[in-house]
Amino acid sequence: MTSQDNGTPSWGARADHRVLNKDTRRLSGPEKVKGEAIYSIDRHVPDMLYGKLVCIPVAKAEFTVDVDPAMEIEGVVIAIPLREGSTLYNGQAVAAVAAETPELAEDGARAVVVNYTPQGFVVTAESAKAPGAPQVSSRSPNHAPRGGSNDKGRGDMDATMEALDASDFVVEAEFDVAIQHHACLETHGLLADFKGGDEATIYASTQVAFGIPGSAAGPLGLDRQNVRCVVEHMGGGFGAKFSMDVAGRAACLMAAEVGRPVSMFNDRRQEFETSGNRSGSIQRIKAGVAKDGEILAMHSDMDKLGGVGRGPGAVQPYIYNVLESFTLDYALHTNTDSSRAMRAPGHPQVSFAMESVVDMLAYGIGADLVEIRKRNLSDPAYHRQLDRVAQEIGWNEHQHRTAPGKGDGWIAEGIGFGVSTWGGGGGPGAAAEVRIERDGGVTSSIGVQDLGTGVRTLVAMIPAEEFGLQASDVLPRIGDTQLPNGVGSGGSVTTASVAPCLKDASHKTRLAFAEHLASVLKCEAKDVTFADGKVFAKSAPDRGLTWKDACATLPAEGLARTGKWIGDLQTSGAHGAQAARVQVDLMTGAVKVLKMVAVQDSGLVLNPLTWRSQVNGAMIQSIGLALYEGRVMEPDLGIQINANLGDYKLPGCMEIPELVAIVDDEDTRQAVIGVGEPPAIPGAGAIANAIHNACGARITSLPITPDKVLEALAKLS
Amino acid sequence: MKPVQDPEAANQRLSRRSFLKGAGGAAAGSVLATEMAQAASEAHTAEPEVLKGVVQVSFHLNGQPTSVQVEPRTTLLSALRNHHNPPHTAAKSVCEQGNCGACTVLIDDQPVVSCLTLAVRVEGRHVRTAAGLAQGDQLSPVQEAMCADDALMCGFCTPGFAMSVTACLEKNPAASEEEVRRACSGNLCRCGTYPHIFSAALKAGRAMLQAQKGGK
Ligand code: FES
Ligand code: FES
Repeated sequence: MTSQDNGTPSWGARADHRVLNKDTRRLSGPEKVKGEAIYSIDRHVPDMLYGKLVCIPVAKAEFTVDVDPAMEIEGVVIAIPLREGSTLYNGQAVAAVAAETPELAEDGARAVVVNYTPQGFVVTAESAKAPGAPQVSSRSPNHAPRGGSNDKGRGDMDATMEALDASDFVVEAEFDVAIQHHACLETHGLLADFKGGDEATIYASTQVAFGIPGSAAGPLGLDRQNVRCVVEHMGGGFGAKFSMDVAGRAACLMAAEVGRPVSMFNDRRQEFETSGNRSGSIQRIKAGVAKDGEILAMHSDMDKLGGVGRGPGAVQPYIYNVLESFTLDYALHTNTDSSRAMRAPGHPQVSFAMESVVDMLAYGIGADLVEIRKRNLSDPAYHRQLDRVAQEIGWNEHQHRTAPGKGDGWIAEGIGFGVSTWGGGGGPGAAAEVRIERDGGVTSSIGVQDLGTGVRTLVAMIPAEEFGLQASDVLPRIGDTQLPNGVGSGGSVTTASVAPCLKDASHKTRLAFAEHLASVLKCEAKDVTFADGKVFAKSAPDRGLTWKDACATLPAEGLARTGKWIGDLQTSGAHGAQAARVQVDLMTGAVKVLKMVAVQDSGLVLNPLTWRSQVNGAMIQSIGLALYEGRVMEPDLGIQINANLGDYKLPGCMEIPELVAIVDDEDTRQAVIGVGEPPAIPGAGAIANAIHNACGARITSLPITPDKVLEALAKLS
Repeated sequence: MKPVQDPEAANQRLSRRSFLKGAGGAAAGSVLATEMAQAASEAHTAEPEVLKGVVQVSFHLNGQPTSVQVEPRTTLLSALRNHHNPPHTAAKSVCEQGNCGACTVLIDDQPVVSCLTLAVRVEGRHVRTAAGLAQGDQLSPVQEAMCADDALMCGFCTPGFAMSVTACLEKNPAASEEEVRRACSGNLCRCGTYPHIFSAALKAGRAMLQAQKGGK
C-alpha cells in the first residue's frame, strides 16, 4: 500500500491495507510440505557425533555413576558424568555419551553403570500431603504458600464468609486438573557445531535464540560473543523451550571435550519425564450468588502441582467480578520435574474451575448461562463476544438453557461457555533491518525464531505493505543471532515486540527511497508513491517506474535502514469467549465435541489465515486438556507410566470437531497484540460445562474420561 | 565416517525377498534373515542366517537408486536421516514407537511408519517421502492445497501428513473427509492443523479428479 503518511509510522486504515490483515500464505509452506525445511534436529555437519543421555529410573535417589564401560564400545567417542550425588525426580540425567551413530550412542548409554539407592519420595498430591510424608526437597515443606510463609491469603476472609452467608445460593466443590504435557513434536535439544578453535554455532530447538549463546558459552569454554545460535525452523515450543536444558548442556560439554560437533536431542520418554508440563491443580471452592445473578462471594483454596517447582501465579476468581473473595494459593510439591510455562500458564486451570462454578451458580438460581456471565463481567468486549459465540453455537435454539439435561435416554447434547483474558503486548529490545537491493530484491531481517506461529511470514508482509509489493517479493531472514536482536517467544509477546520494529525499519527505508527517487521522478519526496509493484509521482501515476527499474537507480550497495520498537504500534489486553457443543453417550460415558466457536480480539490482525490456525490449535489443545491428556504417575514406583505418545493421549484426527475461529471485528484498535495464549484458556471450562448441560453430570476433574462421566451419571439416579 | 565393524558382512547383499525375524536381538547389533519362501514352511526347523556387522541395503528413494550401509538393527527412519548420504530428513523422528506418524513414508505406495521398519526390509523396493512429491517447484496437488489452506504450522508433522494424505488420495481421490481422517488417524499434530489438513485433502482430491478427467 502506498503509505503516503510521512510522519511517524502507523499501521494505516484497515481499508487501505493490501497485504496486512489479508489471508497470506505462510512463506515456509513449500519447503515444509516438501520435507526440505531443516529443523535443528535435522542438521548434520561433517564429523558430527550423536549424543544420548543416561537418565535415572527412580523418583529420588542417591547414586554413583561409572561411564567407563561405555567407552569400551567401538564407536563410542566420549562418555561423561553430568552430576553426582542425588536426584530429585525420575528421569533426571546423570551421564551422557556421544558416538558415531545414534544406534551406538544408545549402546553406550545402556553400558553406563548407575548405582543408585532409592530415597523416600512422593509423586502424587495425596501422598505429598499425607502426615509424615517424605519431604520432596530440603528447600521447602511439601505444602507451602506460594508467596512465602508470610502469605496469609489474598482478600478479606471475614467479609467473604459474611457474603457467603448472605448469598441466596451457595455451591461448594473441589476441582482437579491433571498435568498436561507440551508434547512438542521436535524434542528439546541442539547441535553444538564446534570443531575446536574459538567459535561455535549452536543449532537449537529453542524459543529464545538470543538466550542460547550465553548458556552455551560456559560449557563450551568460549566467549559468549563467539557463539552463534541458529533456529531456522522449529518443531513447536508452547512454552517448554526457554533454556537449553540438560541435553543442550551435555552436547556442549562433550563437543568441547572432543573438538567435534555433537547433536543431542531428547528421546520421547525424556521429553515427557523432564522437559515440559503444565502444572496440575486442586482447587477447593465455595461460592455464593444473589437471586439477581450477582456473584457475591468466593472462597478458594488452591494447591498448584508444579513438581519440584512452585507452579504459575494465576488465581481465582479469575476475571470475574466477585464482590468479596478470599484466596489461599499454595504450592504442593512432588518428586516430579518442575512445571514450565505452557500457553497461558495457570489460566486454563483457573478458568476451568471458575467457569464451572459460574454455571453451577447459574443453574442454582435459574439464570441463563450467557446472561449470568455478562452480569459479572464488566468489559463490554465480553458481552458482545458472548453474544456472538452464543449465536454461532445455536444457544438460543438450545433446549437446556436454564436447567441441564436429565441424563435419561442414550445420546445427549449440551452447550457450555468460557471467557479469557491475556496481555499480549510486546516490549522494547528487538531491532529489524530492511534492505532494498539494486536488483529489486528486498530482505527483511530480525533474529527472532518462528515456533510455528507464522512470524516469518509477518517479517515479509510488513515491508511488502510499505513498498506496494507482495509478501512473496520479500525475503524474510530470521532465527539467527547474527541478525538484529529478536525476542524470546513466550507470553504472546513476539508479534507485538517484533512487528513495530519491522514497521519502523520499513517506514524509514521507504522514506529514504522516496528521497532518492524524488529527483528521478521529478517530484517532491513526499509525493513518491509505492503501489502495486510500481513507483510513481502522486500527480503522474501513469509515468512511473516498475519496482525493479526504481531499484536499479540505487547505488551499488542498495539501501537499508534499521528500525526499533515503537510502543504505539502495539498494545495489550486480549479478550475472548468460546462456546462448545458436545455429545455425551450416556451408555458408555464417551464425550464427543461436535463444535467449538472462538471469538477473539487481538487488535489489528496482521495475517488472519495464520491467526485462525493459531486459534484452532489452541482450541484443540483445550480439547486435549478437557478430555484426554494427563500425566499418570505410579505412586509406589515413582515413575510416569504414560511417558510416550501411545499412552499419553493427544487429540488426533478422529477427535477434531468443527472449529470456528472468528476475529472480533468490533475491536478497532490500530495496534497489534499477540494471540498465542488467550484462545488456549477457556475451552476446557466450556467443554466441562457443555457435558453438564447435556446430561446433568458435573465432572470437576480433568481429563473428563468416560469412567468419570459414568460415575457422575450414576450419582444422578 | 561410520565404522564398518565387519567388512565381509558389509558386502553381503540382501535379496529382494529377504525376510527378517528375531529383530529383538537388535541390542546385539544383529538380526536373523532367511528366505521368505522358506520362512513359511521351515521357520521352525531351518538354521536361520544371521546378519551381523554392517550390511548394504539398495533401494529406490523417490525414484532414484540409492543405498545405505547400516547395521541390520537400523530402522529405515534412522537409515534415511543418519546413514544416508546426504542425510534425508524429510521423514521426521518424533516418537520412534509408531505412535505419531511423523516418519511416514510410502514403500511401494503403501504408507508405513519408517521408525518401525528395519532398513533391510526395503532392499530393492521403492521408498517415497515428502521430498519426492513435487516436480521441481511444481508442488503436488496435496502439497499445494496444504499450503493454500495453511495445513501446517511448525511443520514438523507436515511431511508425515502429506504422505498419509497422498497414499489415501492415490487410492481414491474422491475420498470423503471421514476417509481422510481414518487415513491420517496414525498422524499427530500438536500445533492443531487438523481442520486445515482435512479441507486441504478434500481440495487436493478434487484437483486430482479434475486432472484425471483433463488427462483422458
Ligand atoms: S516417529 Fe515413527 S511413528 Fe512417531
Ligand atoms: S504443525 Fe506443528 S505439529 Fe503439526
